[in-house]
This record gives sequence, structure tokens and C-alpha cells, in this order.
Amino acid sequence: MIALEDIHVTFAAGTPLETRALRGIELAIAQGEFVTVIGSNGAGKSTVLGALTGDVRPDRGRITVDGRDVTTWPAPRRAGLVARVFQDPLAGTCDALSIEENMALASARGRRRGLRAALDASRRTLFRERLAELGLGLEKRLHDPIGALSGGQRQAVSLVMATLSPMKILLLDEHTAALDPRTAQFVLELTDRIVATHGLTTLMVTHSMRQALDHGSRTVMLHEGRVAFDVAGSERKGLDVPDLLALFQRVQHQTLDDDALLAG
Amino acid sequence: MSATALLGALELGLIYALVAQGVFLSFRVLNFPDLTVDGSFPLGAAVAASLIVAGLDPFTATLVAVLAGALAGLVTAWLNVRFGILHLLASILVMIALFSVNIRIMGRPNVALLGQTTILTPFEDLGLSLELLRPLLIGVVVLAVSGLLARFLLSETGLAMRATGANPRMARANGIATGALVCLGMAISNAMVALAGALFAQANGFADVTVGVGTIVVGLAAVILGETLVRTRRVAMLLVACILGSIAYRLAVALALDLDALGLQASDLNLVTALLVGVALLLPGMRGRLGAALRRGRT
Repeated sequence: MIALEDIHVTFAAGTPLETRALRGIELAIAQGEFVTVIGSNGAGKSTVLGALTGDVRPDRGRITVDGRDVTTWPAPRRAGLVARVFQDPLAGTCDALSIEENMALASARGRRRGLRAALDASRRTLFRERLAELGLGLEKRLHDPIGALSGGQRQAVSLVMATLSPMKILLLDEHTAALDPRTAQFVLELTDRIVATHGLTTLMVTHSMRQALDHGSRTVMLHEGRVAFDVAGSERKGLDVPDLLALFQRVQHQTLDDDALLAG
Repeated sequence: MSATALLGALELGLIYALVAQGVFLSFRVLNFPDLTVDGSFPLGAAVAASLIVAGLDPFTATLVAVLAGALAGLVTAWLNVRFGILHLLASILVMIALFSVNIRIMGRPNVALLGQTTILTPFEDLGLSLELLRPLLIGVVVLAVSGLLARFLLSETGLAMRATGANPRMARANGIATGALVCLGMAISNAMVALAGALFAQANGFADVTVGVGTIVVGLAAVILGETLVRTRRVAMLLVACILGSIAYRLAVALALDLDALGLQASDLNLVTALLVGVALLLPGMRGRLGAALRRGRT
């Protein structure tokens, strides 16, 4: 169970550029749940991810993983609990290093790194097997620099890399946004397959309402730093993109009315 | 060029191969432009020479010199990682400070080692001439250090260090404490440069506070020349490239100064260095353009 309790984050506090990115987020994710998160620009999607990875320290509130308070843990310490795939294929991998070296780096996530060789025969076999599952022929290219792969191939490898080491939650940060529609579809199907095979607890941020409804078991919409709505189960099954848009518009008007009320 | 001059160039090239590998570690692996080396090279020389003159055995003296170099690198890294001082500026601060520190260590601007026992002394009975023995012994040290460094860079921690320089955000997301690895890498880098300084002092029979001037340029020249000579992505070969680059640099300089027709004098060394590095930097680009021009000509 991953829980965000009353999380507040303010950037550039006390300056004219002050931004209240999160204003009391409440979100509990049960083990094995696959949550999709949507919201307009500035709704707080990236900040929620940052709070979970430890890149952003909340001003207020508590983050717990299986009851353990990790609010003050910095990013490297959280790495044992959190795996992530970045939006930018370049961000999640090391250009200059080979495919196998990138995988070796990821396979030691959340573990103490010692002086033993980063690569050996048994690890290469494991990496080859895991790459073969992708069906992209990458298992024959272990020594190639990862910079030689296309964006889609890199995101596919990033997904595999994220699952090489145990985790409490997998964070997908608009991981198909930089890809063309066909490649995005391939990476999404791959995501579903990997999440299902390993039974991963997953949080996927996306800007596509279609994706948000088609994948996962629960959808959360953020608006102005709060959870605007949260649907799962049969209620979610009946939803289509127009319904989601209507919901979104209602939420927006509601906050507008609230603001007008406050102003009045 | 005489055999003596050739062996001299080889010896110097091997000593500075350690500098080149240290610079490779900071510049290329950690992406940390580090000028501390201009201070840690004479630091190694000063510590080793002073301790030997004080009566310590030369091997212990060299080890202490290496540790002193590691400490210098650690201070630079600490200034950058802990206090956020720009890496270049942090290294300049430590370099400047080391100038005074080095004079303090020696008690004066230079120390002579003539007649003292150095790490070369035990091997002088082997029957080899000194000018052959010195590059041979230094070569053995360079190979041993290169082997250890290659092994380290291929280890889990070494791989984490390479990721720290190449993509710190990805490194942190994978649980790598990037700050600690910058500190470790900078310590190793400057320890190697100080080892070069200690060897230099013992091979040449003196330590002088000014021997460090331009160390960074010579180290970079060797790294860039090496990259031009050896095109590789393999870690071990990258370190070999540093050694070859350093020797090639010394040979080129010795040759340029040796040719009477060029009419160069010793003080033209810096100009020759700048030209060499410039050519080495231009060469890869020219090679590509030349190839393209040839292909166009053919079709």
C-alpha cells in the first residue's frame, strides 16, 4: 500500500513566482493496482510523481509505503521502492553505455553496489532472455550503445530495466508521449503485459484520456493540485472519453464557482 | 633524435600517462573539468621528496603522496557537491591553495633528491642502464595502475560512476548516490596525478613547486591525442589510449624541438602543445569531411 496523505508542495515560496503545485493530495494505492492519472498542464501530475520518487520534498503531509514513513527519504534511498520510466527516452538511459551496461545499472537498483564485476555470464543470459521477450531482436545487440536505438526501442528497454529489480511501485511518466502513435501503442501493450506478468503496482501519468480509460484498473484526475475525481470498477467501465470530458468540465466549473464565491 | 632523448620522452610519456588517465576519469567519466591536477602533481612530488629527505622509506613516502593527492581531489569534489560551487571554480580554488601548501610541505620552493634512496634504487643492481631502467619500472607501475582502474570501472561501483557523469538524473533514479561517487572519482583521479608527481620527483631527483604548471593541458592533450589514435568504446582500450596519447604527445614535442630546421627552442613548448591539441581536435572532423568529399568525387 502506497499512501499520500494531505500532501502540499509549494515551489518558489515567498516569491512573486510562488506556485502551489499540490494542495492536499489524498491518494491511497493498494498493492497490485494499476492507476492512470490525467489532468491538464499544471494540475500537479509531475509533482505527485516527484513526491513519490523523492525528487520533490512536500511542505506538509506524509508519504507511506506499507506503513513505513518515507516522506524525508531522498531519491537514491527511495530507489529500492520506486522504479520509473521517464517521458524522454534519453532521460531514462545512459547514451554512452551499452544496452547490457544500462541493464546492469538498473538491475542493481535499490541494492548496495560493490566491487564485483557489473557484468558476468549469468547476468548476460538473464538480460538476453528478458530482451528476447520484447520480440525486437535486441537480445543480439547487448554490446551496442543504447544511443543507437530508436525512441520506441529505448522505452521498451527502459520498461524491462525498471522490472529487473524488485519494487513497491512502478511510475510511468507519460512514457509514450514522445513516440509516434504506432510505437506508442506497442509500448502501451508491452506495459500492460509486463505489469500483468509481474503483478506490479503501477501509476501511469498520461495526457490521453483514451489511454487513461483503456489501461489500468482505476483512473484519477488531478486539478489544481487536488484529486478532482477518482473512479474504478464498474463505474469506470461505463465511462467513455466524452463522459470523462464532461466530468472534467464540471470539475473545472466547480472550482471556478468556488473561486468566485471566495472572491465575492 | 638520440636514443637518450627517445628514452627520456618515453619515460616522461609514461609518467604523464597516469596524469592522462586521472584527467580521463574527471573530464570524460565524471564530466567534471578539474584543474586541481596543476596542484596535486607538485603535491605528490613535494610530499614524496620531503618524506624521503626526512628519512622515510621511498615506498611509504610514495603511498603518503598518493593519499595526499586523494585528499586534494576530495576537497575539490566536496566544495562542488556539498556547497554547490561551480566545478571549474572549486578546482581553481584548491589548485591556488595547493601552491602555498606545497611550499609549506617542502619548507622552500624546491627539494633535491640527489643521492637519496628512491623507489628506483632497489632495482639499480639489475645491470640495466638507468635511462632504460626508469621507463621500464615506470611502465610496470602504469600497467598495474591501469589494470586496477579498468577493473574498477567495470565493477558495479565503477559502472555507477560512469552513469553519474553521463546521466546523473537516471543514476539517482537507480539508487546511485551521485555526490558520493563524484567525491570518490575525484579522489582517485587526483591520487593518480599525485602518484605521477611522486614518480617524477624520484626519477628526476628533485621536487619543485612550479612543476605542476600546465599539468592539466598536458593531460588533456594526451587524452585527446589518444582518442584520435585509438577509436574504441571499451573501457580497457580507452585507458590504453591515454597511455599511447601521452607517449605520442611527448615524442611529437621532442621531435619538434629536435628538428633544427624548425628552429624551435625549449620555450616554444607551450606553442607546440597548443598546436598539437588543436590538430588532434580538428582531425576527426576533417577525416569525416575528407571521406565525404572522396565519396562525392567517386559518384
